[in-house]
Amino acid sequence: MLEKETLKQFEAIVGSDNVNDGEIITNVYAYNWCMEIFNFMDGKEPTPFSDTPKAVILPSNTEEVQKIVKLCNKYNIKFKAQSTGLGPWNQPSTENSIIVDLRRMNNIIKIDEKNLYAVIEPYVSGAQLQAEIMKYGLNCHMPGAGPQVSPLASATSMNGPGFTSPSTGHSARNVLAVEWILPTGDILRLGSLGLTKNSDWYNGDGPGPSLRGIMRGWAGAKSGIGIFTKVAVKLFPYPCSTKFNVTGNSPNYNFDVPDFMRLYIIDCRSYKYLENVFLRVEEEEISFICSHLSGFATMAIFANSIDNLMDKSSIGIMKVPIVILIAARTKREFDYKQKVMKMLLEELKLTNIIGTKYIPESIFYAEALRSNLGLHGFITTGGFQSTKGGCDTAAMCLRSTEINIQLKKKYIKKGVIANDFGEGTWMSSYESGHFFHMESPTMFDQTNKNSVEGMAEYMEKSNELDLLKHLGAPFFVEGDKNHDLFGPYMMNYHNWLRKVKEAFDPNNIADSGFYISPNNNELKKRGK
Amino acid sequence: MIMNNDNFLQNLTNICGSQNISQDPKDLKEYSKDLSFIKGKSPLCIVWPSKSQDVAKIVKLANNLNFYVIPVSLNSIFKQHGNSIPKKENSIILNLSRMNKILSINRKNRVVMVEPGVTFEQLVPILKKEGLKLLLPLKPTASRSVLATALEREPITIPRYHWDSSDPLLCTEVVFGTGDLFRTGTAAGPGTIKQQQKMGQAQVNPMGPTQFSPFRVIQGAQGSLGVVTWATLKLELLPSTQKVYHLHSDNIQDLLDLQYELLKYRLCDELFILNNTNLACLLKENQQEIPQLVGNLEKWNLIFIISGRGPLTNDKISYLEGEIDEIRTELGLNFSEPTVEVPNKKILKFLNEPCEKPWRMRLKGAFEDIFFLTSFEKIQKFISFMETQIEKDLGVYIQPINQGTSYHIEFDLHYDPEDINEVNAIKEKSMGIRAQLMDLGAFFSRPYGLWAKDVFSHHSLEIVDALKKVKQIFDPNNVLNPGVLCFDD
Amino acid sequence: MDEEEYQKMIKRCLRCSICKWIPQIQIKSQKYASGCPAIDIYNFHPYSGGGKIILALAYEMGRIKPTEELRDIVYKCTVCGNCAVACKYMNTLEPLEIIMKLREKLVNTGCGPMPQQQAYIEAVKKVNNPYNEPHEKRMDWIPDDIILNPDAKMLYFVGCTSSYRRKEMAIAAARIMNAAGVSFNIFQNDEFCCGSPILRIGDTTAFEEILNKNLDIIESKGIETVVFSCAGCYDTFKVDYPLSRKYDFKVKHTVELFDELIESGQLKLTDNVPITVTYHDPCHLGRNAERYEDWDGDVVQLLPLVSINVPPKPKRTGSKGIYDAPRSILKKIPGLKFVEMERIREYAYCCGAGAGVKSAFPEMAIKTAKIRIEEAEDSGADFLVSACPFCSTNLQDGITDKNSKLKYFDISELILMALGLEGEKLKQATAEVA
Repeated sequence: MLEKETLKQFEAIVGSDNVNDGEIITNVYAYNWCMEIFNFMDGKEPTPFSDTPKAVILPSNTEEVQKIVKLCNKYNIKFKAQSTGLGPWNQPSTENSIIVDLRRMNNIIKIDEKNLYAVIEPYVSGAQLQAEIMKYGLNCHMPGAGPQVSPLASATSMNGPGFTSPSTGHSARNVLAVEWILPTGDILRLGSLGLTKNSDWYNGDGPGPSLRGIMRGWAGAKSGIGIFTKVAVKLFPYPCSTKFNVTGNSPNYNFDVPDFMRLYIIDCRSYKYLENVFLRVEEEEISFICSHLSGFATMAIFANSIDNLMDKSSIGIMKVPIVILIAARTKREFDYKQKVMKMLLEELKLTNIIGTKYIPESIFYAEALRSNLGLHGFITTGGFQSTKGGCDTAAMCLRSTEINIQLKKKYIKKGVIANDFGEGTWMSSYESGHFFHMESPTMFDQTNKNSVEGMAEYMEKSNELDLLKHLGAPFFVEGDKNHDLFGPYMMNYHNWLRKVKEAFDPNNIADSGFYISPNNNELKKRGK
Repeated sequence: MIMNNDNFLQNLTNICGSQNISQDPKDLKEYSKDLSFIKGKSPLCIVWPSKSQDVAKIVKLANNLNFYVIPVSLNSIFKQHGNSIPKKENSIILNLSRMNKILSINRKNRVVMVEPGVTFEQLVPILKKEGLKLLLPLKPTASRSVLATALEREPITIPRYHWDSSDPLLCTEVVFGTGDLFRTGTAAGPGTIKQQQKMGQAQVNPMGPTQFSPFRVIQGAQGSLGVVTWATLKLELLPSTQKVYHLHSDNIQDLLDLQYELLKYRLCDELFILNNTNLACLLKENQQEIPQLVGNLEKWNLIFIISGRGPLTNDKISYLEGEIDEIRTELGLNFSEPTVEVPNKKILKFLNEPCEKPWRMRLKGAFEDIFFLTSFEKIQKFISFMETQIEKDLGVYIQPINQGTSYHIEFDLHYDPEDINEVNAIKEKSMGIRAQLMDLGAFFSRPYGLWAKDVFSHHSLEIVDALKKVKQIFDPNNVLNPGVLCFDD
Repeated sequence: MDEEEYQKMIKRCLRCSICKWIPQIQIKSQKYASGCPAIDIYNFHPYSGGGKIILALAYEMGRIKPTEELRDIVYKCTVCGNCAVACKYMNTLEPLEIIMKLREKLVNTGCGPMPQQQAYIEAVKKVNNPYNEPHEKRMDWIPDDIILNPDAKMLYFVGCTSSYRRKEMAIAAARIMNAAGVSFNIFQNDEFCCGSPILRIGDTTAFEEILNKNLDIIESKGIETVVFSCAGCYDTFKVDYPLSRKYDFKVKHTVELFDELIESGQLKLTDNVPITVTYHDPCHLGRNAERYEDWDGDVVQLLPLVSINVPPKPKRTGSKGIYDAPRSILKKIPGLKFVEMERIREYAYCCGAGAGVKSAFPEMAIKTAKIRIEEAEDSGADFLVSACPFCSTNLQDGITDKNSKLKYFDISELILMALGLEGEKLKQATAEVA
């Protein structure tokens, strides 16, 4: 709970209806998916509850956010900002933290058709944004977590892979101008937005060096470097007709599949050959989606429950599938892309099983267009989390996949994670095959203590393996422990990152649990 | 003030060898000026390191002995914008031109790793042999550093491949102003580059390491935060067939509307607009021939290329042609027939090959380029403004960037460097013009030399403050290229 | 939901926020993407379906105590079921059932329900209706010319709200059945509250008593079919009663009956009703009116951590609610133009009245209604139509509060107009549109 006077001051900013420090609300905000894993890793009881925030506050605009941050500085209370709040990285790392829930900041500020970007606030969901920009024949990059989460959060603070990455890239690379409340409460407006006259949203870099480099890297700072209140994100051409007609009833909807969409699921038979296929397909620059998933996971993207997963064995028996979806606006474009795929299949001596061994329900295409495929990862056990997350070449990703198999099988054998034969992977191409990322979705049971502990252990071992085998830094190299572990093997980046934190958050107010803390000596020097 | 000149020289010699140091006054004079109006200080010496470790040692030495380091990537006389001219006494030129190895070419992953001394004339033909294409700015000077060009965020001519402002720059090895060696992106590790490559990596992901991307602050910093000792750059595959479109109009809006559609649907490769002056400069090397061609060309020229590769080249070209025709019909645009035919071969030549000396010098021997970023709807406003300011010999280049989310707009004021009146007039006018453009909302994302101060005064104080914090992190003693950007204000 | 299943399920929320929205692939605009009135109005995560699952877990773990604040959050919810539909598109959690179970627990500890809700529970116990109106006046709405058949095997169960508050709906339903020549009866003294208001606020003990009383009477009278014009009564009889006690008679909502009658020609819609309408799917007629199917299968562990139901366990996803019948009726009304809102069928936005919200949190009820009214306005319709007396009251209150130009009719009133039996009303309606 907050001190009475402190609460009053927060109420003065947002109104008493929009701040709460009671036991009920704060306890709910203490809960999150996979929190049990991170608790266990920290030597705590593996419950799904983090430290309980002191309060939860709901600002409605940038000025309120700024005032909140300044007040946090005044009273030395940390803040943790969140949008839809999916995942343990939304949790406070200390009880001296408030959660800034950005739900009330849910406006689409601008859709700039001619300059191909949209400006959004934190609580605009991917589906909401897509629904609006489709009216202009445009599309956005949807975070892999699904269309129900925030593209702003993905662009500024989280990760950034997505199913449509071959054609829509990575969230971090789609950022233009940004409005950013620093942990000091100063407002930083990047790029063309920082102009004192006639500012605009079209560019986020400069003048001179780009502060986007401080804002985030492969991963974002998870609120550790401030709060992002608006972002301009690049838009892309919608891949086909924007007619989006879903009929029937949940969950077995029917979808009027737009003209000029075609799905290919091809068994590449080996990881080595998969690399060739990936690179060869992506060189032709025709795919809307181009992903590798294990046979089991590929079955899952066509199922909406574990029960109807089981009838997709024609997919499940594939050794190394690749999923390619092509889409076109015109017949001409579609004919060309199909021709290219035909040529590739002949050249690579591969066969598409779609249309012969398997015909997906029409709803798959709606889900592909809306990028709702990631949620299928939950249908097997109700819980999953990804290990790994390296991003560089296809070869590295596949090497990572292969090396992971033996490690994963160890934990499968212990019965603490679900059996995907160790092959459970999601690998996607970016920007027509210029780089690739892979992650290993791993199904576990969050209500089963052994499973949670086993999953935690597997995650840590997986991180160590990436370190040992030079497979790139995985996703969750966040927080002091992991930064201090990986840093010395990665040019001591952690020292530099610490300096960034110290410079931009001199009072250490932005919750650093999933970012990096300032150096203790530095803190002492500042009397903190 | 360096306490002991001999000590300083001896230290440098120990690092690089005496054959890689020059205090020849002729050499020193060359580095105190460039093509811009800026007159700088004479450096103490020029040093040519041959490896990263030397660079690190030199920068560390600078920190210890209080001298400044100005990184320069080439020996060329065609340096521009004043960013590599020493602004302070006690500066040395760190000339990276002898670090000129092409470290690796990776066809499979479409990436090349180069040292800073690698030039366009060196790299382009080698890549061509491998079936690869560098993402070029508009007819770069042959002797310019490929890496430095990427570090400057110079716009490339193929906007559909420009996924992010930072492209084509990927990973870097950099020596920060502290003298610490660092690698950015996936090059940071874990593991050495060799170890990473053994596991199949090719340093193609520029993001990171982890939760920051220092390459983005190094880029655009004009060597004031770090000295890049190698970088990986994105490549594309060389097309086997290129078809040129050259559309003309007196009405630039028609061309802008068309290029928007082409880029939105990713239909073409190279895509930009030039006015007649600049197009003529690109087409003709002979100064005498340029004015006549200017007179014969339409005012506005949209140039774009569609391309194909492999067995389905013709199919691809055919499909793209069809899409383009349909768009043109839908837009109802008419374009005039050319009064003089510009051979496609010539256009392809200036697109695919670098040139001996800067093409912008061809009209009158010198130029002052005023360039900034803007949005689609403001382009005409800026053109109209500039046309009221400069009556003649004005070149215009409009380059959509970042997949069409903004536009690099460039006004080249051509002038005779031998005519002192013209020189003074342009010098004075260009400063005033830039200030007015800033007031109109021009975003000078790449602020150089004399006008940098103005640029930052048109930005929020928080930006300047934040940049200074970054400087304090990576170059706390301000040894790297002092006087550029906003760090010394 | 039994206790064992409850204890397991409350640990499984992924906090994905899917429950706050309508199913993702149904989102057509930013404005109408949301599905949960509670969180739309109150914004804090605990107000969402998933938030209440976490509340349940925190409560079971002793992290939170049964306080007024907890009670308020739990009861600021119309139990509309959108969270369940959205969640179960892919997942297998039952947010709605968890909310109901949590309410039951709060009632058992004396923490719930809200005082205003307790008042109407007492009224039901005392006078058989939540409005505290005299029981003997329950059937005062029946006009003299309505023909009833005391021997009929079809019972029209009017319900408390239509009897005491929305009499026009009861009258319309009766007249239509008369016009079609359908033989039906109404229990004049033996109709009692169906128990829905009590069930929804968690007093399952009191509900059990009511349920048995009602079933005893109906079964004793040999009724074969019970017809409801109230979506709440319909849902309660159809879905909730069989969970405690099975019965043999059929249940139908009037929209189902009327659609059949129109289809068979027993009802002839002859008069033009030249208005543009949009239809609001009542939660209790739509997504919540899907029966629980018996499942006698086994949970088979295929692999460690991976179990399947053999045979597959039916999942209530709202797909079997009554959506087509009212639409079919509207499309058959001559001259009527029918337009859809964006959020319809199993993902329709709640009117805001249900589960005691109207009485305990009238502000929430009105705010929710106004959201729905705006959506109706945006559809281009002049008239808003539904098939539930509770929706009728709250939506009309919303129209008034918003000063909306929209007009409201129950679907039975439109049928009467098309039958030529409500000339005045039709004249007035078309005049307003003109």
